[in-house]
Amino acid sequence: MSAVISTEGLGMPVEVGAIDGQLKKLWEADEASTNASLMNFLVYTEDPSRLQKNSETIQALTREHACRAVLIAMDREASEAKIEAWITAHCHLAHGKKSICSEQISFLLHGKSLGRLRNTVFAHLNSDLPLVFWWQGELSDLFEERLYRLLNRLIFDSSTWSDPRTGFRRLIEAREDTKGQMVTQDLSWTRSYFYRLAVARLFDDPMAQKSFSTINKVRVKAQPEHRTGALLMAAWVIRRSGWKVVSRQGDQWQLKSKEGKEIALELLWDEEGAPIAELLIAAPDCAVRISREVGNHHLCQSIYAHDHCLDFSGPADSDQPEGLVASQLSRGGKNSLFLQVLPQFLELLESDD
Amino acid sequence: MGKAGVSNPFREDLVSRNLAEACSVVIFGATGDLTHRKLIPALYNLAVDGELPAGVRILGFARRDWTDEFFREGLEKLNKKVSRTGHDDEIWASLASNVEYHQSEFQDEEGYRSLAKRLDEIDRERGGKGNRLFYIASAPEYFDDILLNLKKAGLSQDRPDCDGCWSRVIVEKPFGTTLATAQHLNEVVNGTFQEKETYRIDHYLGKETAQNIMVLRFANAIFEPMWNKEHIDHVQITCAEHLGMEGGRGGYYDKAGALRDMVQNHLLQLLSLVAMEPPTDLSADGVRDEKVKVIRSLRQWDTPELVAENVIRGQYVAGNVNGDEVPGYREEDRVDPESETEAYVALRCMIDTWRWSGVPFYVRMGKRLPKKATEISIHFKETPSVLFNAMPGGVPAGNVLVMRIQPDEGISLMMNSKLPGTTLRMEPVKMDFHYASSFGKSSPEAYERLLLDAMAGDATLFARRDEVEEAWRFIDKIHNAWEEQGKEIPIAEFPAGSWGPREADELLAKDGRTWRRL
Repeated sequence: MSAVISTEGLGMPVEVGAIDGQLKKLWEADEASTNASLMNFLVYTEDPSRLQKNSETIQALTREHACRAVLIAMDREASEAKIEAWITAHCHLAHGKKSICSEQISFLLHGKSLGRLRNTVFAHLNSDLPLVFWWQGELSDLFEERLYRLLNRLIFDSSTWSDPRTGFRRLIEAREDTKGQMVTQDLSWTRSYFYRLAVARLFDDPMAQKSFSTINKVRVKAQPEHRTGALLMAAWVIRRSGWKVVSRQGDQWQLKSKEGKEIALELLWDEEGAPIAELLIAAPDCAVRISREVGNHHLCQSIYAHDHCLDFSGPADSDQPEGLVASQLSRGGKNSLFLQVLPQFLELLESDD
Repeated sequence: MGKAGVSNPFREDLVSRNLAEACSVVIFGATGDLTHRKLIPALYNLAVDGELPAGVRILGFARRDWTDEFFREGLEKLNKKVSRTGHDDEIWASLASNVEYHQSEFQDEEGYRSLAKRLDEIDRERGGKGNRLFYIASAPEYFDDILLNLKKAGLSQDRPDCDGCWSRVIVEKPFGTTLATAQHLNEVVNGTFQEKETYRIDHYLGKETAQNIMVLRFANAIFEPMWNKEHIDHVQITCAEHLGMEGGRGGYYDKAGALRDMVQNHLLQLLSLVAMEPPTDLSADGVRDEKVKVIRSLRQWDTPELVAENVIRGQYVAGNVNGDEVPGYREEDRVDPESETEAYVALRCMIDTWRWSGVPFYVRMGKRLPKKATEISIHFKETPSVLFNAMPGGVPAGNVLVMRIQPDEGISLMMNSKLPGTTLRMEPVKMDFHYASSFGKSSPEAYERLLLDAMAGDATLFARRDEVEEAWRFIDKIHNAWEEQGKEIPIAEFPAGSWGPREADELLAKDGRTWRRL
């Protein structure tokens, strides 16, 4: 027997076959609002208790990203196979004037049935608009070829995966199957966006640039559950610097530059800190440090050189998945940098215990 | 790619735009409204978005005897009011710690020598990179003094001791008031800074929809094949303002007029974006080469007869705007009661190129019109009247593609559709795209984009010397003809709150067309 699932905020319950008609009625009843949509935005979870929370997330996301939202929760433990559906609209005042609304269809699928997720998705898309799919949790057996071939963009969070190696293998297979057409966006990668931007900004400093060839230490500090995020950021530093991994001992790696210089990479874990709490890149005469206190929305960015020192605050990435998704949707693009970094990340990951 | 990108491996591929480099930003006229309302909030918002390069220092240069603290407090106060993203104390504190005030008269050479000394100190504190961005936001009568004194203080030249460092200048409008004054200013600017380091700002080009004109034209296969005399009947560019001469603006405006204040720069820039050929690439000169060809191809209205036939100037008389009684132009604060300055202008422009031969571009700009709106409309030719002309009601007008620049940025397309029913009747319907509806996130302010571009050395959205001078050449001839006409052709009048003088309607009516109703 499945747990009781709250569906209060999902709107009006509807028969699955009557969804289109009911949506039409919904819009006819409200002439003052504009139905806007830039994409089909699907949120899928195999944790039915998240359905309500996901609806709240869509309410927030649609302030900036008008879409047709389709929320699907799969209750795979249910003995009886059935589908429940609801419709609603999330409306916001644009610039304090016009009411802009995004429609939302929610589904709760009970019981195991391999094709039902795919078919539910296919039947309720706005034609021609891109399909962005936020897959919450592990990429299960339902992440299958006939489904992912239709996706324009897949958003996931590898920090929630119990076995990242298997997850990334599935992901790479899917990308190969789609000939790279499906854009993949890992929220663990998004989580370090402002860290990476800050590193780039700090290395615009002439002293930091001069010291680049003498870097001998890189340190990443993160929460243990954000291991993939920390590894992705380390992989980015290694890749951009043109270094190679020589050896590993626990969470310490020995790297080598093209010129043969040795660099120590260290990952530290701090359960009490921010998801990613620190990145330090140090040379004997210059150090670049970016850090974040837990709960703080800013990154402390510092450069320490023998003749000068710069300290300033900059924006930090959101702690919440919905904030990261919103940032990711705003940035768009093909996420090609992530793909460039992926082989290096996999090398670090594969050597993981 | 900026120079730092070459030696900074972390920059590569991180952002899909040119790299803005750390620099000292020196703002002349720092106590003015532009600095407080636009420039500092723009720099602040860049910091909020993580786009402001590390180590940017801001020096306000002005005559008033202010302290650093007083200057910062004033900036903070206004930033709280006008910033696009709100006000975050921590980001502000970080930015404000890099803001200082430099008191000097614009004519005082010593002030520039001490500025140079201070900039050298900042460079040392910052680690040696000595990029400088001078923003001339003062009243235009000081432009010459500022530029010449920058040169005397050695602030405009490349420094042999600083490899790869740059000194750039941003010049605010008005860039001259005639061709002769613009040429003089260009001589002074280019005698001080190289043309490639000169950024003549036209904030219209920083607006999202203005930038979208090129995307619409060249990234959508359906429009460009139709973007010519075969398919387009005419183009209208309207810049309507509901405000008059509030806030003491009459003093400046009465000397400038609508033609010089808006058409010479903003509206001719929009016209050139609409009419230009596809550039060979998106480099600054690639785009500007094509834009200047359009301005150069404008048929010159160089006799009083041609001007009378193709240009209408007007003034508003007392009327009613948004329910408020408003005075006529000549009764406005700081306006000469016998002023002959136009507060409204409408032009019929012809572009003598293969693409646009015979296609009129109607441009109008006016104060005290019913509402604030800047829009470009492309009026396509009507379909051959062989199928539907016998139907009741006939065929409605041709398709119209509208690009709304401000407010409510967006694009709409009017097309004809059958009315439901058993008879064949057609009505125009509107497909509408609103930036605000589709993208809830607010667009960066024009000044954010333009400041970042100047720090990155990307001059695509800035006017080049030849563009400015060609535009003045076109405008000057109209002005000269007006002066020659004297009072033979009286200035047209219209009640404030209406859509301009009758004469402007007749300008289109004689071509069998009407102004679009906004």
